[in-house]
Amino acid sequence: MNLSLTRIAVVCVTTALPAICQDLVAVKAKTIHTISGPSVEDGVILLQNGRIKAIGKQSDVEIPWSAKVIDASDKVVMPTWVIAHSSGGMRGSNESMQNVPWLSVADAVDPGSTFFEGMRRNGVGTIHTMPGNNTLMGGNGMVLRPAGRTIEDMTVADNTGLKLSLLASNGSRLQKVREMRRAIADVREYLADYNRQKDEFEKEKAAGSIAEDKEWEKEIDRKKQAAVDLIEKKLKGWLYVPSFAELGEALRLSQELDLNFVLGNNLDEALPMLRRLKQPVVLTANLEYFETDPETREEEQFCSAKMLADAGVPFALSLGDGPSANPWWQLGTCVRNGVSRQQALESLTMIPAKMIGLEDQVGSLSEGKLGNLQILTGDPLDATTWVEMVVLEGELVYERSKDPRLQYLFEAAEEAAAPQESQKEEGK
Amino acid sequence: MIRHLLTCSFSVALASLAAAQQDVTAYTNARVLAGGRPSMTNATIVVAGGKIVAIGTDVAVPEGAGVVDCTDKTITPGLIDASFVPGISDNDANEQSDEVTPHLRILDSLDPEDPTFRRARRDGVTTAHVMPGTQNVIGGLGCVIKTHGDDPDAMVVKQDASVRIVMGSEPSMRNRAPRGGRVESMYYRRPTTRMGVIWAVRRAFYDAQEAMQKTQGAPDQGAPAPGIEVLTRVLQGKLTAVTTARSEQDLRTALRIAGEFGYQTVIDEAQDAYMVADELAAQSAVVMLGAPSATSVSGGGSRDGAAPRSGTVRALADKGIKFVITTGTNTRRLPLIREAMFAARNGLGPQQALDAITIEPAKLLGVDDRIGSLAAGKDADFVIWSQDPLDPAAVAESVYIDGKSVSQIR
Repeated sequence: MNLSLTRIAVVCVTTALPAICQDLVAVKAKTIHTISGPSVEDGVILLQNGRIKAIGKQSDVEIPWSAKVIDASDKVVMPTWVIAHSSGGMRGSNESMQNVPWLSVADAVDPGSTFFEGMRRNGVGTIHTMPGNNTLMGGNGMVLRPAGRTIEDMTVADNTGLKLSLLASNGSRLQKVREMRRAIADVREYLADYNRQKDEFEKEKAAGSIAEDKEWEKEIDRKKQAAVDLIEKKLKGWLYVPSFAELGEALRLSQELDLNFVLGNNLDEALPMLRRLKQPVVLTANLEYFETDPETREEEQFCSAKMLADAGVPFALSLGDGPSANPWWQLGTCVRNGVSRQQALESLTMIPAKMIGLEDQVGSLSEGKLGNLQILTGDPLDATTWVEMVVLEGELVYERSKDPRLQYLFEAAEEAAAPQESQKEEGK
Repeated sequence: MIRHLLTCSFSVALASLAAAQQDVTAYTNARVLAGGRPSMTNATIVVAGGKIVAIGTDVAVPEGAGVVDCTDKTITPGLIDASFVPGISDNDANEQSDEVTPHLRILDSLDPEDPTFRRARRDGVTTAHVMPGTQNVIGGLGCVIKTHGDDPDAMVVKQDASVRIVMGSEPSMRNRAPRGGRVESMYYRRPTTRMGVIWAVRRAFYDAQEAMQKTQGAPDQGAPAPGIEVLTRVLQGKLTAVTTARSEQDLRTALRIAGEFGYQTVIDEAQDAYMVADELAAQSAVVMLGAPSATSVSGGGSRDGAAPRSGTVRALADKGIKFVITTGTNTRRLPLIREAMFAARNGLGPQQALDAITIEPAKLLGVDDRIGSLAAGKDADFVIWSQDPLDPAAVAESVYIDGKSVSQIR
């Protein structure tokens, strides 16, 4: 994966100007969930220039007098969530043509989308944005932070991987598999042809039929570059596998390409194959599904997270619409189905961070990592917990008390709490 | 206190009596949220003959009784969904021969083997109030039914529990004459506007009033039409009217019509209830909130032009307006317990949230003498949860109806 950590580069540049940018933020917390290590009670996290400088007990870490203090002494502080695969916040996530590996999500992301507002509200700090599933080779992805007015502001990393999909939107599964094979073969043929031409050029040059000072100038077709990188394993592919039926083909593809899987539902029929998965996978937002036995009409409920946990395959969770837009709901669904609390927490932090190659930056709290924190009113798995504040790279990007949409949705209750005589009169 | 002790000792006596019949089970060491009162810890529930015979912290396990240890578990009454949509197709839940069909019974369309009942049981719902669909102006009679039973008749808790009246766009939604259609065509028979819908309600109640006057004046003229008879019961306050109304406009209309004809109504799916809180309070209307979870932060879940808000449940609670939480017709509904959980997230106290899916709907439907709370003499409908039921990780591990296990997970 070609990571150009532009955002992080910006942070590094600022360290060169200590007098101006010596931003110190201290967050005091009742409980700090570091995720990677034990939780800290009555702790403090010291952020400097957007990175974690120190983390520990309030009695052990000295807060410099110049630090801006966020007092969350009665609250829970933990890393912001990391989403390994999402197609939210884009205006049109798939081109109507299926084979478009040269596209990038950068041109579709709308920084003003309510999607990113919702992500901040839910404590998400890192999103790997990818083209949608209705594609064959859909284009390149980016890692974004859900704050900023332009795509440049939001960028954490770009050129993060090529979206591939086996979703048979029109036509049969086999047809889709054939199209994928054809597309990959086309790129291989193109590359073989390109290399052959280049070899011939060099040979002719060596033989003297081409002038000494002439260099090989032909570049790889821009429209083919991402796909060429994919087959040369310089770029990761993110393959959407809609159901168990495509898993076999997905495993075969993964032998020749460097792939991450995004798995849909109905995985119960592919349990033996699931055990063959070696690296972590992304699960789509809907974690539970029912299957009815065609003979007995008996229904059985399955949970894809639990199946993967049992198969020993690490997974990253996605967020969806409705209740599954809430991280606590997704975590609760995992725990309800028998996944351990720690594994559930890791599947929205460390595992996705690892999948997008940023495990040394985000997904857990330790010295040197990015200062991406969320401050919660209570336990992250509790339904009554709200995200109070979100800090990204030391910068406060969300405060619940200043969230106009939440205020709008709750003002009914506040109006009712305060008796309103004027309204009654109007009613008459 | 004395009365409480008396009840207890009486129940213990009953319990030991029943123990002889070999079907006594004691559920011990449980945290019990009995419905309508604070929680008990380390409580014991004794069940015999499909009924609760004793419950409390000082209840002894009768001799010979089977014992189920419920340490670390929470027991609640079986949940009651006061607006449950079974897996009946729209065609089967909405009679199309007439727009006003108060005398039809949804019970006749119900299949006890309906998979939605099975899912409801799995999620701890032991009783459902099922109403006809929302595509008729007056759809028919709703019934209160347990979600499990060998015999459909035995499942019925209350046969004619309500009559459904529908405001808003749904009764007129599909009633457009096909291009070139004639006005007298059967496809053009029903109202096509809100005006038409409300007129159909008025006309039906005028007919009912007239019928009442006629029978009072001259009883020999024979019984009125069956549908009209149902509406006279509403006017006499003998049958609960449930009016489905979502937007502020439809809520006001529902209250206006009820006031006009002098009956009380329950308002179903009242998404905009917070806007007419004072009016609801003035008419002591009870509100059913369908799938409050569907009110997403991005402002989704609106139906019929309503503007649902997350703060609605809390607003109604603060105003002292009686309400119950249901799943309703919202396609984005969640299992009932999760709807209560979202209500708790949106500011409702945990006990209130749980009461809104147990004792409150039981009272509303007039079946609280049998279900909705855990007390001696009540039906043994209860759920053993893996942890506090309002926790997103909670599982309805065992569900009992009339003392019989109807769902087991783990």
